[in-house]
Amino acid sequence: MYGGGNTFEGIKTDSLAQEDPAKLAEFEARIERGEKIEPSDWMPQLYRRQLIRMIEQHAHSEIIGALPEGTWITRAPGFKRKMALMAKVQDEVGHAQLLYSAAETLGKSREQMIEDLITGKSKYSNVFNYPTFTWADCCFISWLVDAGAIVNQLANAKGSYGPYCRALDRICAEESFHLKYGHHCVIYLASGSAKQRQMFQEALNRWWAPMMHFFGPSDKISAHTEVLMRWKVKMGTNDEMRNQFLDMYVPKIWELGFTIPDPNLKKNPETGKWEYTEPDWEEFKRVINGGGPCNKERLEVRRIAEARGKWVREALKSNKTAYVTPLA
Amino acid sequence: MNSLDPRVNRLPEINEPVSPKAPLDQFGTFEVFVQPKEGKPFQHEGIVHAPNLELAYVLAKEAFTRRFTCTSLYVVDTRDVFISPMTEGDKNTYDYIQEPPEKADIGSSFEIYHLAKRGKQHVHAGTVQAGTPQQAMAQARQQFKTDKVIYNVWAIETDKIRFTTAEEKELWLTLPEKKFRDASDYKGGDKLKEFLEKMIK
Repeated sequence: MYGGGNTFEGIKTDSLAQEDPAKLAEFEARIERGEKIEPSDWMPQLYRRQLIRMIEQHAHSEIIGALPEGTWITRAPGFKRKMALMAKVQDEVGHAQLLYSAAETLGKSREQMIEDLITGKSKYSNVFNYPTFTWADCCFISWLVDAGAIVNQLANAKGSYGPYCRALDRICAEESFHLKYGHHCVIYLASGSAKQRQMFQEALNRWWAPMMHFFGPSDKISAHTEVLMRWKVKMGTNDEMRNQFLDMYVPKIWELGFTIPDPNLKKNPETGKWEYTEPDWEEFKRVINGGGPCNKERLEVRRIAEARGKWVREALKSNKTAYVTPLA
Repeated sequence: MNSLDPRVNRLPEINEPVSPKAPLDQFGTFEVFVQPKEGKPFQHEGIVHAPNLELAYVLAKEAFTRRFTCTSLYVVDTRDVFISPMTEGDKNTYDYIQEPPEKADIGSSFEIYHLAKRGKQHVHAGTVQAGTPQQAMAQARQQFKTDKVIYNVWAIETDKIRFTTAEEKELWLTLPEKKFRDASDYKGGDKLKEFLEKMIK
C-alpha cells in the first residue's frame, strides 16, 4: 500500500550538469523506447537517488501499513475475516521484503533502510499515522486505501526500473485479493444494521481527508515532477492519480448510500475531472514531519520489534555468508 | 505508550538505544528460483537475506511461494552466481563469451539461466558440464546459443544449490485449498444487488 508522489527531494537545476551528456542521451533514449533499466546499466545519480527514495518509502509504507490493520486481527468479526485479514497483513509485510530487495539493487543496504526508518529519517505514507478506532476503520483501509495504492502501483509498474516493476507486478497480483476482500467487508457493513452503517459512515468521515492527502500535494504546489516523469520514475502527477481514484471509487461509495464529507465533491461534466475542496496541505506537512496522531506509536512499535529481535539475529550470526547487492 | 491497542500498551520499555544498529544484522544474500508448474522451467524470483542456505530456503518459501502455484523452489548464495555482460538491442551476450577450449574439463554440473527479454526474469535454459564457471558459460554458448538474442547469462554450480527434496514438495499441496486468499472468494455481487433493490423500495 503506498501513496506516491509527495516525497521526492527537490531537484536542483545543476544536478544533471555533471553527468556525461552522451551517456545521459543514451539512457533517455532507452527509456523513450520503453526499455527497462537494469541494475548493471548506467544511470544518472539523480535517477538512482530518487528511485532509492521512492522504493524505500514504498517499502516502509508496507511495513508500517501492516500495523493499523494488524491491530484488528484478534477482533475481526468471525473466523473467516480473521483468516483473511491475517493473510492480508502477511502479504503487506511480504511486499515490504520485495520492495527492500528492489531498492537494494540500487546500492543502499537493507540494514541502512531499516535504520533510517526507525530513526525517523525516512518517510512513509502519511495515511498510516492515523488510528483505527473501529472495525469499520480497518475495512476502510482494506478497501479504499488499498484501492488508492493499487492506482499508484499499477501506474508505477509501467515505470522504467526493471527490479521495481517486477516487484510491483507481483504485488499488484496479490493485492487484487485485498481490494475484493475490503469491498466485501464494506458491502456487509452497508447492508447490515443501522449501527453497522453508522459505523462505516463515521469511519469514512474520519478517513476522507487522509485519503485525499494520500496521493500527495496538488500539482499546483508540487513542483519538480517533469524530469521524473520523463525518466518514468513517476508515472502520473499527484492530481491525475487522485482523479483516477475518485473516478473509480466515489460512485462505488455513493452506490452503498454513504455520504462523502465534502460538499464540493462533484465531477465536472465538461472537463471530466473531479472537483473538491482543496485538502489541508498544512495538516499533511505536519503529519509527515511527525505530528500525526500515531507517528510516535508506529515508530516505537518498530523500534521495540527491532530491539526484541536482536538476540535472534545475534544467535543466527554467521561469518559463512556475506551481504552482497542483489543481482536483479 | 498510549495506544488504542492494549497489546501495544503491554510492549516492554526499551531502555537501550537500538540505533545505530550493529552490522551483525546484515545477513547474506541468496537468489531464489521458483518452478511455478510441473514441466515449466525454473525462473528467478528475487532474493532473501539469511544467515545460511537452509534458512534462506525457509524464508524464500514464505516470501515467494505463499500465494501462487508452485511445484518446486531453490536457493543459492548470490556469490555463487556467475554472470555474463549485460547487453542490449541486437547484441547477444554470447558473442562476448569465448568458445570452449578443445579439451575442456567437465568436473561439475552448472545450471544455465537466460535473460531473453530485458525487464523480465532470468529463466532456466539447461544444464552443462564444465570445470569452472567460465567454461560453463562457454559450454552454454555451444549448446544453447541460437539466433535469438540473449542479453544476460547466469551460470550456477549445481552442487551449491539448495533444492527442494521429494518429500518437501508436499509444502505446496494445500495452496489451492486456501481460497480465502483469492479475490474470487469475495463475491459480494448478490449481496450488493439485494441491498440496492431494498434501497430503491
